[in-house]
Order: sequence, then C-alpha cells, then structure tokens
Amino acid sequence: MIELKQINFSYKVSRAEREGGLGRSGQEKGGLQDVSLTIQDGECILLCGRSGCGKTTITRLVNGLIPRFYAGDLSGKVLINGQDIADLPMYEIAEHIGSVFQNPRTQFFNVDSDSEIAFGLENEACPPEEMKRRIDLTVKDLDIGHLRGRSIHELSGGEKQKIAFASVYTMNPDIYLLDEPSSNLDMDAIRDLKQHLALVKKQGKTILIAEHRLYYLMDIADRIVYMERGRIAGIFTPEQFREFSEAKREEMGLRAASLNTVHPKVVSQLPSDSLLELKSVSLRYQKRSVLDGINLKVGAGAVIGIIGHNGAGKTTLSRALCGLHKKSEGQFIWNGQPQSYKDRLKRSYMVMQDVNYELFAESVRAECAFGIRGATLGLVDSTMEKLGLTPYQDEHPNTLSGGQKQRVAVAVSMICGKELLVFDEPTSGLDFDSMAQVAELIRELSAAGKIIFIVTHDYEFICRTCSRVLHVDHGEVCDDFPVSGVTENRIMKLFSMQQFAKGD
Amino acid sequence: MSKEQSERRALGVLRMSDDWNYSMNGETVCNGLWIDPRTKIVILLLCVLSATMAPSMRYEMLLVLLIACFGIACRKVRYSIIGALVYAAVYFVTIAALKTHGSVQVMLVAFLGLVHKVYPCGILSGIIISTTKVGEFLSAMNRSHASRKIVIPVAVMLRYIPTVREDWRFIKDAMKMRDISPSLKSFLMHPGMTIECIYVPLMMAASKTADELTVASVTRGIENPKTRTSIVQIGFGIWDAVVTVCFLALFLVGQFCKGVF
Repeated sequence: MIELKQINFSYKVSRAEREGGLGRSGQEKGGLQDVSLTIQDGECILLCGRSGCGKTTITRLVNGLIPRFYAGDLSGKVLINGQDIADLPMYEIAEHIGSVFQNPRTQFFNVDSDSEIAFGLENEACPPEEMKRRIDLTVKDLDIGHLRGRSIHELSGGEKQKIAFASVYTMNPDIYLLDEPSSNLDMDAIRDLKQHLALVKKQGKTILIAEHRLYYLMDIADRIVYMERGRIAGIFTPEQFREFSEAKREEMGLRAASLNTVHPKVVSQLPSDSLLELKSVSLRYQKRSVLDGINLKVGAGAVIGIIGHNGAGKTTLSRALCGLHKKSEGQFIWNGQPQSYKDRLKRSYMVMQDVNYELFAESVRAECAFGIRGATLGLVDSTMEKLGLTPYQDEHPNTLSGGQKQRVAVAVSMICGKELLVFDEPTSGLDFDSMAQVAELIRELSAAGKIIFIVTHDYEFICRTCSRVLHVDHGEVCDDFPVSGVTENRIMKLFSMQQFAKGD
Repeated sequence: MSKEQSERRALGVLRMSDDWNYSMNGETVCNGLWIDPRTKIVILLLCVLSATMAPSMRYEMLLVLLIACFGIACRKVRYSIIGALVYAAVYFVTIAALKTHGSVQVMLVAFLGLVHKVYPCGILSGIIISTTKVGEFLSAMNRSHASRKIVIPVAVMLRYIPTVREDWRFIKDAMKMRDISPSLKSFLMHPGMTIECIYVPLMMAASKTADELTVASVTRGIENPKTRTSIVQIGFGIWDAVVTVCFLALFLVGQFCKGVF
C-alpha cells in the first residue's frame, strides 16, 4: 500500500536561475499542494493533467528521488507498506519499486541489452545462477527473445523501452512506476507496453503511471487521478472518464480517452499545382537501401503526415527532404527546377524531436538572428510578434517549455525564409493544450504557403493537422492519400493494422 | 561459475565470450582479448609513466606500437591501425620541425612535445573505454572495495561517452540547416560561433543525460553496499599477467636501458 499524507512540495530553484531571472517558466511548476492519496496493493492508478501539474512529482516522491535527487521544500509523509520512505536508503526502495522513465535513450546504464536486464539484479547481489533463471523468465514472459544480446545503439526507441521495462521486471518489484513511458513509442510499441502492464497487473502488482496519452490505459487503470496546479482535482473511474464530453475533456487539458472518438478535422483541399516533386527517389543508408521508388507531388500549403513503424525509414526520408541525407538517386524538383542536396538544405528546415539541439544562443531574440545572413531587426521583431514570442524575447531558450522551444525553432525557419518544414515527432510528451497549439501553428504555416511534413505516431495530431498521409513501410511508400471524413476508415485501419499487425 | 568456465580459466585460455556475441557500430567488441578492468587501469598507469618519462621519441613510437598491438588483440583493429599511423605522421612532422630554426621551432616543438606525451595515453584510453562494459567496471571496482563516491560518477561518465556521438550527429544537422557548416574551414573563419554552436547544445544535452542516467541507475539500486555480482564473469587470468608484464617491461626498459634508444 502506498500512502501519500498531506504532501506539500516545491522544487528548489537554484540561485543562478533566480538571480539570472531565468526561472520564470519553471519556478512554480511541478510543485504539490496538500496532496493525499492512498493506493491499495494491486491497484493501477493513472495520473493525468497538464504539463507541470505535478504528476511526475508524485512518481518521484514514491520512488524516493524526491528529496534525495531533486531538492526542494517537502512536508508530509510518503509511506510504503506503512514504512516511511524517508527512512529507507535508495537501494532498498529500488528493491520494492521499479521505475521506467520517459526517455528510452538515457535510462540505459549498459550498452548491451543483456547487461541492462541484469543490471538491477547485479546491484542486488543476486547469485549468477538465480540471475540467469530470472532473466530467462523475464525474456519469456515479455516475449523479447529477439532483443537479447543486442547493442543498444541498434535498437529502436520502442525496443529500448521494452528492455527498460524488462530490467525492472527482472527485479520483481511490488510497485511499478512509469513516467510518460509512451512518449517516444509507435502504435505497436504502445500495444506491447499495454500487454506488459496487463501482465504485471495480473500478477497483483501495484502500478502508478503518469501519462498524457490516455486511450491505451483505459482497460488497465482502476482509478484515474486528475491533477491541476499541484492539487488532486478529481478521481474518476475509467467508466466515468469515458462519459466526459469532448469539450469537458479538452477544457481539462486531456488527450482523448478513446481513439474511436477522434475524427479528422481538416477539410483537405487537393493542392492546386505541384510545387515539390519527387521522381523515383531512392534512399540508401550505408549501402543498404532504405526506401525505393518514391514518387510524390506536393502543392504549396500541404501538410503531410509521414507514418510507419520505428525504423521504417521515416527519419531518412525527412532528412533527405531537408538535404541532410545525401545518398539518394532520382530527382527532387522544386518549382520545375531539379534540386541538389545543397539547394534543399537552403530551402528546408527540420524541427527536431529534441529541439534543444538546434537552439544555440543566450536569448530568444539572439537565437532568432543567430548565424542567419540577412536577418534584419525588423524581420526578427515581426516574426517573434507573429509567433507570440515577444514576451519571452530576453529569456534563455532553455527555460522555455517544449512547445515554446518549437516555436523558436519555427521562428528561425521563417527568418531564414525556409519554404519546406519537417517536424519530427512534434507532439511527443506534450499535453493536450500544447498539442492543440502546435496544430494551430502548423495550420498558420500551411496558410502561409509552406510545405509541411510531419513525422508522427500521434493519431489525434494527424486528425487535427494533416491534409494527407504517407505510410512508409517495407522499404517503400506503400500508401498515400488525403485525410478527410471519407478516408477516416483507411487511416484508422492503418493505425489499427499497425496495432494488430503481429496478430493480437 | 560453471565447470567449463573454471576449466577454461584454469587453462588460461583466451576467454572468448561465446554467448555474449554482439556488435557495436559494426565492430565486434567482445570476441577478442578480455582482461579485467583493474588490469586495464594498471596498464593505463604504466602507460602514463612510460610516456612522461620516455627517454626518446623512438621509445614512444615503440610504446604506441605496443598499444596498437593490444588494441588489435582486443579487436579494435581499425582504431588501432589508424591510431598508430597518425602517430607515425606526428613523428615525422616532429623530425621535420626539429630541423627548422628560431621561434618557429620553439613553438612547434613545444606543441608537438605535448602531443607526444598525451597521445599514447589518449589512444590507450580509447581502447579501454570502448572495450569495458559498465557492469564489468562496477563489479571489478566493487571487488577491490573502491569508494562508491568515485566509482559511480566514473561509471556514469563511461556510459555518457557513447551518447556524445549521437548528440553530435543531431547538432551537425542543426548547424547545417542554419548555414553554419561544421567543418574545419568554418571553424577557422568563425571560431567563436562554431564553438558556441557545438558546445551550447552539447552542454545542455550533457547535463540532462547525466541526470537521467544517474536517476536510472539510482532507482535500480546502484548504491547497494552488498558485493555486486556480475552476469559476465570477471577476474584475473593469465592474459592479465601477460599484458601487465609487457607494459611493465617496456617501462623498465625505458628507465634502465636508456642507451638502447
């Protein structure tokens, strides 16, 4: 049993942040006010709410990272089976509570999958024979035999997340804690995650999961805790939750409880004449052919969703569109002119999944002009105004929220005069509000005549933004059709086909 | 330990890890010579001593060759050969530099002298880091009762190094899209901007990655004071002795038979 008793918590803002006035967006975020919650053994609790509502903070309190790793002012008690967490050392907590985090890339402590699965047991000083037995059992239970003995550098995000789950599963904890585990996963991987969660639930384990994507947890969760500004604003059963109207749910800042209620919103108009054309383009990666025979005609203002499994070649395709991937055959034609990769590089911009990589300067304003030839003050000002960045112009880009950072990157692309934009997983880890804002931004860009490609696994987001869908799989573009009420079934099928491809 | 394994160790057979076969970036990591992480630290120390107290350049060349042989034995073939060739180039440049005169010579020789001292240790560290698994390192340190306050940060660092390569790929892309090419030429033309472009995102990524790695390890009990077990058997074998003797011999030869070089 987990008991949270009258918890008040606020993160400590470091002195540098306070003095530099940097903490503005991060200051009060994620703190908790008077939170009390009792979780019974074997229960599955879903924590939801807007970004910064404190759901991650609760998971950190339970696994002891607060206050040991994240400092702050804490009052109240966290009890696990009647024992105060504050009295236990981290390694003892680790034996009872297994944690899976959001980013699969950085929760690996080893560079090969076997060592990673064994890692927790090694720390517990489990005898080698027993260790081998438990690893074999884990591999069997979770059906991950094909992932044994692999280097993490060759695993996809979904596979990494499976290994991360497996490494916790081998330790056989009583409580599983998951913090936005689906953020970087495709539909298939989410389905597998759901199965794994159902399995541990059947074993009578307690599950506590903080998540933005809700639909896949509706069959598993026993109670849904909705949080708002650090308080528990309501506790619902999945049945009650499904009853909520769309308007109410959106007002609460939550994603859909079921994908069946989500329908395409964009009225797709077929592009008048083609601006960008790909003629039998083939892409190779280190001598291996990734995608073959891509033929595509795209008009100005088109918003195209690129979907497909992790590792199907979506990234290579988007990098090639931006001129970052050079090894290709066939022709890229822009407005009748064939384009070399250098021309493409000049014309296009990618908003990366981790936007931090493309932010270099010390303030938003400086960022907008950084390294750009011909960035006049007037242009910078008007662009920031247009994207609603003016209030933040003197802040450090790193202190902004994920959605705001994306806006800065988009501002840079507009100042550079880029005409083709690629968004790589723009909604991973975003709550409903931010997702709606990104969708709005993309609609504006589309209205301005830009061509936009979106690599995504997010069905809700596709329905909100895309005018067309490209399905990439088996080394080719195997489907290409407009998004509308008419094709809704086809898209659903694509997603559910992906969902059940392995024989569910 | 299984009977077979102990037999193999007793015989001093090269420990080929048959069921732990995997590749990293196309290179096979574990199929070569395997020595204990503690031995690796000892030979690194010997290498530092040899390099700093080297009697001549020819001696250093020999040291680099020995390191390259060690690297090849660890199946880091390409890395070792390139490493040795680059050193050979530096060697000849140094000889040429010695023939120049005046302040140019002072400058060049001072710089190259530094390169000569650091290079052998750098290349050996590269081999050691890429062939040591974090788990092995932790278990080895745990057995020699090293303080956790040192071991855990070093382990996080060991793990962090491969992520830099991935980060670098993203940063390179981002730079290209901004018209700042990540090349030597642009570095010479706009050094300030190029450095900013690389280190700002790299630092941001580094602090986040290090935090997340630490959290991931702490929540799985890395701080447990019990003697750690390991899925990969560690321990000293005959090859640890062979490698140590090779490096020790070279060091002693350098100190006591200076006339040879």
